[in-house]
Amino acid sequence: MGEYIIEMLNITKTFPGIVANDNITLKLKKGEIHALLGENGAGKSTLMSILFGLYQPDSGEIRKNGKPVKINNPNDANDLGIGMVHQHFKLVDIFTVLENIILGVEPNKMGIIQKDEARKKVLELSEKYGLKVDPDAYVEDITVGMQQRVEILKMLYRDNEILIFDEPTAVLTPQEIRELLQIMRGFAREGKSILFITHKLNEIMEVADRCTVLRKGKCIGTVNVKDTTKEELSRMMVGRDISFKVDKKESKPGEVVLSVRNLNVVSKSHGKNLVKDVSFNVRAGEIVCIAGIDGNGQREIVNAITGLERPTSGTITLCGHDITKASIRERSIRGISHIPEDRHKHGLVLDYKLEENLVLQRYWQPEFQNKGFIKFDAVRKYAERLIDKFDIRSGQGPITITRSMSGGNQQKAIIAREIDKEHELLIAVQPTRGLDVGAIEYVHKQLVATRDAGKAVLLVSLELDEVMDVSDRILVIYEGEIVGELDPKTTTLEELGLYMSGAKRDNAKEINDGREE
Amino acid sequence: MEGKNSFYNDNKLNIKKLMKSGVLSSFLSALVAVLLGLIFGFVIMLIALPANALIGFKHIILGGLKRIGDVFYYATPILMTGLSVGFANKMGLFNIGASGQYTMGMYFALYVGFMWDLPDGIHWVVACLAGFVGGMLWGAIPGIFKAFLNVNEVITSIMFNYIGMYLVDMFIQGNSAMYVSDKTRTQYLPAEVQMPSLGIPNSNVHLGIILAILIGILLYIVLQKTTFGYELKATGFNRFASEYAGMKGKRNIILTMAIAGGLSGLGGAFGILAPSGIAGSSMTYEPINIIAPAGFNGIAVALLGNSHPIGIIFSAIFISYIQRGGTLASLAGYKPEIIDIVIAVIIYFSAFTSLILEFISKLFGKGRKNKKTLVDNEIKEAE
Amino acid sequence: METVYYLIQNTLPVAIPLLLVALGGMFSETSGVVNIALEGIMLFGAYFGALFVYFVQDSGLDPQTILILGMLIAAIAGLLYSLLLSFAAINMKANQVITGTSLNMLIPAIILLFSKMYFNSDGVTTSINFYIQKIPVLGDIPILGRMFFQKTYITVIIGFILLIIFTIVFYKTRFGLRLRACGEHPHAADSVGINVYKMRYAGVSLSGILGGIGGFFYSVGVMDGNVNGHTGVAGFGFLALAVMIFGQWRPGKILFASLFFAFLRTLAYSVSLIPFLYNLGINQTYYRMLPYVATMIVLAFTSKKSRAPKSAGIPYDKSLR
Repeated sequence: MGEYIIEMLNITKTFPGIVANDNITLKLKKGEIHALLGENGAGKSTLMSILFGLYQPDSGEIRKNGKPVKINNPNDANDLGIGMVHQHFKLVDIFTVLENIILGVEPNKMGIIQKDEARKKVLELSEKYGLKVDPDAYVEDITVGMQQRVEILKMLYRDNEILIFDEPTAVLTPQEIRELLQIMRGFAREGKSILFITHKLNEIMEVADRCTVLRKGKCIGTVNVKDTTKEELSRMMVGRDISFKVDKKESKPGEVVLSVRNLNVVSKSHGKNLVKDVSFNVRAGEIVCIAGIDGNGQREIVNAITGLERPTSGTITLCGHDITKASIRERSIRGISHIPEDRHKHGLVLDYKLEENLVLQRYWQPEFQNKGFIKFDAVRKYAERLIDKFDIRSGQGPITITRSMSGGNQQKAIIAREIDKEHELLIAVQPTRGLDVGAIEYVHKQLVATRDAGKAVLLVSLELDEVMDVSDRILVIYEGEIVGELDPKTTTLEELGLYMSGAKRDNAKEINDGREE
Repeated sequence: MEGKNSFYNDNKLNIKKLMKSGVLSSFLSALVAVLLGLIFGFVIMLIALPANALIGFKHIILGGLKRIGDVFYYATPILMTGLSVGFANKMGLFNIGASGQYTMGMYFALYVGFMWDLPDGIHWVVACLAGFVGGMLWGAIPGIFKAFLNVNEVITSIMFNYIGMYLVDMFIQGNSAMYVSDKTRTQYLPAEVQMPSLGIPNSNVHLGIILAILIGILLYIVLQKTTFGYELKATGFNRFASEYAGMKGKRNIILTMAIAGGLSGLGGAFGILAPSGIAGSSMTYEPINIIAPAGFNGIAVALLGNSHPIGIIFSAIFISYIQRGGTLASLAGYKPEIIDIVIAVIIYFSAFTSLILEFISKLFGKGRKNKKTLVDNEIKEAE
Repeated sequence: METVYYLIQNTLPVAIPLLLVALGGMFSETSGVVNIALEGIMLFGAYFGALFVYFVQDSGLDPQTILILGMLIAAIAGLLYSLLLSFAAINMKANQVITGTSLNMLIPAIILLFSKMYFNSDGVTTSINFYIQKIPVLGDIPILGRMFFQKTYITVIIGFILLIIFTIVFYKTRFGLRLRACGEHPHAADSVGINVYKMRYAGVSLSGILGGIGGFFYSVGVMDGNVNGHTGVAGFGFLALAVMIFGQWRPGKILFASLFFAFLRTLAYSVSLIPFLYNLGINQTYYRMLPYVATMIVLAFTSKKSRAPKSAGIPYDKSLR
């Protein structure tokens, strides 16, 4: 028996149109924490899906303890002791925690599930590893952090000894992250082997023994973490030196553009208060960021401002006009531009041509239509201008079907459309999600440029680095309430995390900055 | 996850490129579905009456040629219901309620025909318009349920097929000016309410087919050239994006369903107001609690025509053509229902012919070549 | 009181087909496949069940035995027919509503073609009497016995037994848990090694079995053992879908919903026997429309917060994870 518990040798996997993994070799030692580093789209998730049996490689070999194995499906992986916490949790909302943990390996007598037996084992594991869960709570009712514990328990319940964590920290606060890294270390001490997928360098430096770096589907190399630096890792990941800091001048806030007062949103499905009495201003020439863990009311606040959802109470004022009850179109005319959270769901009609998407907010304006007939020449000219100005790359220019474009260029198209349109307020929700470093830099520059042009910018982000680097003012949201206002120049990630997890909060009166009075 | 999503769709796009244009690929899809439908029909004929299967099948394939006038005559109502289903489909709505709308339109047209006293030249015109209005009302209801109450239009449409059918049958049976109870049918319509005949011998083909084709072309222009068409298609492709862009989704749903209903209703009017070759007679309706088949045939027409108005014109004529052949198949001992079987099978296969085509084009191995160039593009784009 | 007995005795044989078919729809949709073909599946099952009865009715077999054998035939027929939906929806990833619609259109045409060619009629007419005046022992229980075990069909008892069995399958078994996972979050199911395609085949096949039985019970309990290609099952397959939605995809609530709809229908067809309603002088056609109108009203109130399986109607594609 060699020193490696898992070896993935010369793995190649192609999808129609792309080589996701190109001759990649990854070797995992028993009892180590092995980080897998790479940008979005570098092929990390594909490689791990192959190890977990979700995909079959086109070529290459997987060995466990030196012996070649075939992993055709997650059952095979499970039999080999391989478990995985997926980036997007694979939990059934309407099932209980217990049902989710046992799904697929249900203890049963003649097909009838024996829940008591399972509950006992889950509680033991939960006790042993300090993973607190309520087995009978429904998954839809528990927090994201607890859902992650359920995912981890799923692996432990199956007695897995090789644990894959796919971007596990993306949804957690800094404190929760520390707790998770602690748990991972505990597993390693116990002899379990861990594959830790991430693009966050700090976490690798803190917890990993070795690190394999992928870039554009290729393996760049494997290094010992104690012999390397953050800078070297980032150079391996991106292929060039990058500046972590966003270049920007001091902000000069002007008039109040957006004013939100006592906003409340009650959920239609379960009657809970998702947004509680939220008030804030955004001024011209500043970037205000709403920071928080996903699902704490950010989406509802944005929907209320953009008009996608009606608030239960409260007022929203844009440049002095009450727009609380205005239609989406009216808000757009009055000057709201919106880079939506999900560009495929809201931002684009993927089956439309690029040019048709570029006029999605403006097709009804006299410039583009006459008596209800679309002026296709004007649309084409306008599209060509935006494509040129914002450097949107696509196969066939304006007539490219949007679906066929890369994620980064799709996002560029949305940004071009929203920034070129007349606006006073730009709302950007997770504008860099899923983009590579080059595209992220581009988006950040555009946001700062918009601010410098004297517009108000409201940014909603889950990426703490982005929150700290781009914004001029941070509002922290926790369970639908704004619990703190921070200055990115003076605050720390640590402090931000305390607010995000609800451990720290300021008096509501102080936050509702009375600056407009 | 998102990334892989778009990779998959890239693949679809390649094949489309391979097909050179969407028109060709939807034509091929339709062709495959039709072929499979006819083969299945032939198998059923072999089972039902093996000795005559070949001669019967020949009737189906070629019979329509002998009755070209009738082909156009019977194409008229299903062209309208086909346009109705196709138009709603462009917005992502499945108008399975074309039957009820058709029946309502027919009733409104009958009502105007019998109960209103209008000058000769315009009586049939008003009756047609009434048919449109009747269908519109019946189409708007599922639209309203969908827009305001989030009720799936499929279930609503089906329920309103039944409700409409019962209502119309009841109204007709209760109206002595319309209904002859001992013949259990409606009266003959006066000649001035009937549509002007095109004067083709041995056929009732009338102005309706020309109007229907013109309406098809009009719909094409609306869908391709207008802001309404832009909104409608955007909503059909991605409801969330259309809402995000400030389009009035609820209004558009109701409007689309109302127009779709109106088209079916007009089909009902065209159907019942058809002229008769025999003086003093006309089309009649028998209220026997059966849902109008024209609506369901419209689904086949729309699917075969890929919901494209111009495609629907051709597919309606085709379906009508094999239906004529089907009636002739009774000469060989079969029943006209054989064509309903063929139509149902065509619908079944048109729901996934694109996949069959994809499979065929993969067999030819051209996908691989395309893949490489796209990877090159990706890398270029990335650098 | 006589009227109450009458209504209950006549409601149950109508409720049972609705109940079984709605349960079938529930299994199909909780596995992730919208089954609008239930109407066609019912008719297919009913047709083959009735054909069987037609051929054996003079053999001297006990009517109840014939009924049970016919039920098995209908179940197999429904299962086979549902495979057409499974193939298109699961393997070919076709639009499930369109596929279902085509299956609904296909079967009446086939019945009419063959019946017209070989029976010179629009369907199958049988002459056997499945009606039970009184079930021994149980029928003698005061009040309840008269309500549930007199002037009835054995279908009612079979229906309730099936309800109990399938409720247990749905909630308590490994199979039920996995099935529900596939309709809710198929990727989650797949990631723990459950074969989503197989589970969906199972769900649709169960709906085929229950749909076939339900169709046969409809022809026994509602149509006196006859099947007609023109009227088919009169929209019962669609009503069953409405019952399923009204029942929020849960067996207990589906039972309640099917009793409600069946009661309305029985009421509609018994107007002439109920002096109060008859004297109102309302056209009977309005009563005929009642179940459909009631469906719309019920859906209008329940759809806003519907608990439909999240992935129902969406083809599962392994490569799209």
